[in-house]
Amino acid sequence: MAEVEETLKRIQSQKGVQGIIIVNSEGIPVKTTLDNSSTVHYAGLIHQLVMKARSTVRDIDPQNDLTFLRVRSKKNEIMIAPDKDYFLIVIQNPSD
Amino acid sequence: DEHKKRDTVEEEVTEEMLKEVIDVYISETDSVSLLDIPSTVMSVDTDESEAIIERNRQYAEVCRNRMGNDKYMERSMQTLSGAAKDKHVQSDAVVMVNTGWAHCFPSELRNYVNVAFTGCGHVVSSTKHHRSGSVHDQCKQPFSVVSTAVSSLKEVDAFGSTSGAESDLQLIMQSETFQNCLLVMEKSILGNTFQPDLAAYRQLPVLEDPDFPVGQRKEETESGGPPALQRLWAFSCELNRGRSVRSMAWNKKNTDLLAVGYGENDSGDLTPGLVCCWSLKNPTWPERVLHCDSAVTSLDFSANNPSRLAVGMLNGNIAIYDVQGREQNSHVVSSSECLKKHLGPVWQLRYNQQGLSFAGEKVEELFSVSAEGRISRWFEFNTGLDCTDVMKLKRIHNTKKKARGNNTEKTGSVLTAMTPGLCFDFYPTDPSVYLVGTQEGLIHSCSSSNNQHFLDTFRKHFCAVNCVAWCPLSPDVFLSCSSDWTIQLWKLDQLNPVLGFTSIQRAVCDIKWSPKWATIFGAVNEGQLEIWDLNSSFLDPVAVQPAAPGVTMKSLLFTSRADCVLVGDSDGQVTVYQLKNLRVGESSQGISASFLPGGYSARPLL
Repeated sequence: MAEVEETLKRIQSQKGVQGIIIVNSEGIPVKTTLDNSSTVHYAGLIHQLVMKARSTVRDIDPQNDLTFLRVRSKKNEIMIAPDKDYFLIVIQNPSD
Repeated sequence: DEHKKRDTVEEEVTEEMLKEVIDVYISETDSVSLLDIPSTVMSVDTDESEAIIERNRQYAEVCRNRMGNDKYMERSMQTLSGAAKDKHVQSDAVVMVNTGWAHCFPSELRNYVNVAFTGCGHVVSSTKHHRSGSVHDQCKQPFSVVSTAVSSLKEVDAFGSTSGAESDLQLIMQSETFQNCLLVMEKSILGNTFQPDLAAYRQLPVLEDPDFPVGQRKEETESGGPPALQRLWAFSCELNRGRSVRSMAWNKKNTDLLAVGYGENDSGDLTPGLVCCWSLKNPTWPERVLHCDSAVTSLDFSANNPSRLAVGMLNGNIAIYDVQGREQNSHVVSSSECLKKHLGPVWQLRYNQQGLSFAGEKVEELFSVSAEGRISRWFEFNTGLDCTDVMKLKRIHNTKKKARGNNTEKTGSVLTAMTPGLCFDFYPTDPSVYLVGTQEGLIHSCSSSNNQHFLDTFRKHFCAVNCVAWCPLSPDVFLSCSSDWTIQLWKLDQLNPVLGFTSIQRAVCDIKWSPKWATIFGAVNEGQLEIWDLNSSFLDPVAVQPAAPGVTMKSLLFTSRADCVLVGDSDGQVTVYQLKNLRVGESSQGISASFLPGGYSARPLL
């Protein structure tokens, strides 16, 4: 438990990390380092995106499953690690 | 009729209406007959009676023969229902109204949960009138919603049962998959940050990023330019700030994993030692941290069991750790209870593969050399370690130069003191022969089958020999470095060194051959890192990297695939340097045997 907290702190202090959001399986953000409105915004949109990505992967091969999703944009990169109980979302701007 | 089509208005159900007594009358309905074939009765005397009797008889015959007769087959019929067809209908953008999503839901609010789904095309007002507990009913009615929202509606069922987001967070944080997930995420983030350095390490070609113009990354002139060392990154974290790096070793199976042993602080007090296993993918935090009882002086990974790491310490103990598990201090065996354990610091440990076992696989043994002058071979015994002595390093009093050709040496005095051994290395082609460097400055070559006498003694250094290394690509050639500021190059059959190298007047702490090029080796003395190329010059190193001010460099390691060098220093940092522009020709061939002994003027022919 303390290790998890430490790892979260280390990720938070890495170069360029703008925010971390942990979303539970129902789509409710349970822990966030951003402000409330952005958190809710990201959580809602990313939930749908992950569902679509996951259904795409499973549609092509039902034995397969989504393990990691990275969305690289001009200004930053959103990294999403989905699981059946939670999503972990990290937004990073690597050229910061 | 229009009357019938008008929606019935629902009345409010009042209490009095519920208490009324209502009479219910039950009666039978009329019988409905579906099939009625009355039987025909005839008298036997009529004319048709014979035909009828005949038909009756035939029918009875048929009935009797029906069982087991091939003419009649049992056959069942089934009506097939057509395949179900899924139909998705997409509506316009869903407008979500978020009211207090991140807070705990008290159970009374269960009914009003559906307020949030106003945009789904579902009439909200009718839901409020449903009795409590009917949340499940919602899902059975057909919806015209976006398909993704259907899955989240199914999760509405669970709403009433969770006691809020707080416990969810606890559950998530405690699950092991979350910890793994965090580590993967950390590595991805660091991959972004360190991407240019890691790409240079792995020797990937640099592609231009179309969004960032070339001006951001300076073009390096690839050809031309002197050999140079470029600093890529450094492994360090606050755990090991200020501790000096004593020993480093690559994992034999996973070449991205590096174990670093940290010794005492700069101030010299004996803090407990530390071993960190670093992965190339995360230079800011080690994968494993192992705390040891005393300062670490040497370590080595096993080749047969790649997750076993042997650690030698300042107090003479040797412990073998298994680094695969995540538990702290998962050491497998330790030599602290062994009667014959080392009493002085274990200066070097090595796993050596000697010979084949019955099964045909290589047998691997752990050898150690310590400050009390013993070289021991260790094996696991009864949950501890036990050892047998392979050699005792006796101090040699006769240092006559004329005894050069003498193979055996024996001291004249009866009491032979032992001299600390500082380093050893096994001969690459015959693992039972090895070299030992001692504190007196002598290098002995020994065989593990003979633990009384040395095979040869090489004398040149007059201070402690800090490291000996066989050249991996050229047979019979080895290097030794010592605190007398020199590095000597020897051949196995000559008792005098072939070449000597000096650059600055500092003790040379560590020396290693490059695994790829036969004429390149690196040396670390306290002030700088030097790369020597025997092909270009004997007098000066081809590339020099001075240490940061106030910091002395302590140990050195080459990487087997990349052109990189790792240097550990007294501040706890392990810095990765890339060798550039080394301009080596066909140097995979060994150094030719035409070295003339004892001359700087010898030119190697390749």
